[in-house]
Amino acid sequence: MSGSLVENLINELSRLPGIGRKTAQRLSFFIIGMPGEEAISMANAIIKIKEKARFCKNCFNITEDEVCSICRDPGRDRSKICVVEEPSNLIVIENARIFRGLYHVLLGSLSPIDGITPERLKINELTKRVKEDNVSEVIIATNPNTKGETTAQYISQLLKPLGVKITRIAYGLPIGGDIEFADEVTISKALEGRNEM
Amino acid sequence: MLTGTEGIVLKTQKYGDADLIVTYLTSDRGIINAFAKSPRKTRSRFGSSLEPLTHARISLWGKEQSLPRITQADIINSFRQIRDNFQDFINASKLVEMLISLIPEGIPNKRLFAFFLNILNFIKSSGQETKEALHLIAQIRLLTAIGYAPRLKGCGKCGTRSLDFYPDSGTTLCGKCASLPLAKGKPFIRINNKVIHFYTHSIEWPINISNRLKPNPETLTELSGLLDKHLTYLLSKKLRSSEFLAATTRPRPRPF
Ligand SMILES: [Zn+2]
Ligand SMILES: [Zn+2]
Repeated sequence: MSGSLVENLINELSRLPGIGRKTAQRLSFFIIGMPGEEAISMANAIIKIKEKARFCKNCFNITEDEVCSICRDPGRDRSKICVVEEPSNLIVIENARIFRGLYHVLLGSLSPIDGITPERLKINELTKRVKEDNVSEVIIATNPNTKGETTAQYISQLLKPLGVKITRIAYGLPIGGDIEFADEVTISKALEGRNEM
Repeated sequence: MLTGTEGIVLKTQKYGDADLIVTYLTSDRGIINAFAKSPRKTRSRFGSSLEPLTHARISLWGKEQSLPRITQADIINSFRQIRDNFQDFINASKLVEMLISLIPEGIPNKRLFAFFLNILNFIKSSGQETKEALHLIAQIRLLTAIGYAPRLKGCGKCGTRSLDFYPDSGTTLCGKCASLPLAKGKPFIRINNKVIHFYTHSIEWPINISNRLKPNPETLTELSGLLDKHLTYLLSKKLRSSEFLAATTRPRPRPF
């Protein structure tokens, strides 16, 4: 009986990304050794997030309320919208503390071969915000890969007629990297996006 | 076992945290799947070498039957010009989807590899004014190369002249043959001589002079509709890329 309980926990934990069976085993035994209230509070955190978390009705960030804390913050520059694919991308940009505008999460990226068409993403909602909310700049921060680029191109063509400034985050070499190890596409994009010093 | 080959990336699928499963059309093993560890991390040594359509020299570790791991991928031709052009990329995706849906994995086909590479080079280097026709020619030639092209040159049963294409039979049929039990009452598409003319030349002319074919927009629309119906019948489903194309090229303020 106890064997199957442990087994069950290991199975559940190994569903998480980046957690292999070995790690799941280690975590399971750590949880078994935890004080009861700590383990229960951890389990409750999972239950609560599934019960309370939802998408912001404005930007589709994850929030507990109807509108997320970024959209509610009066100190943010409402004329700039940074477009990202996933809420996890938003958090990374937010942590850099350099962008003070609002966000728009698409909840995915366009992919012809996977049948991910514009209507499957929050693109209409973005267009609506640009039309109605006095937006002056849309910064497209989708991933620097084919799906992200296809999405960026589509959005840019869609929004251009609305007279809004559209920018794309720069492609380039990773900081701390060495040009020697960069491939031709990365180098070409970095050269195209060069800045005057 | 470590082996090397040349491949064109057909598609990639996220796998786990930061890994990818890459589907290649290879020069010597046909379509294969391989696994890449952590290419999605910003500092990955794979860089852009696993992006769709990239032609690369790849090193694989592991048995062919199980999922081999990509240990190295050196770009021969990135084909980034195709990915950077929205219409070109969707149309190339359609070719890729046709390959993946119609060709079983692991069957070597050196000619198909060379052919597909040739098509990508051609899309990459062609001017925008002839692109629409070129994309259609590429589809027709690909279907011909893999033996799934529809027959539009006379009745498929008796050879008599005919302008009625029956998707269920994959061919044009004359009135007499169409009334036989197998085709009777089945839907058909009425085509015209311009469509047949363009179609025939698309197959017969070398691709490098195919830009001399100057079809009118109606011919392109009709033939492309016919091919989509043909493919839908072959695959018992619509191509996702065709649906994507339709969803993104509806009338809008400014064309792409
Ligand atoms: Zn929000
Ligand atoms: Zn006949």
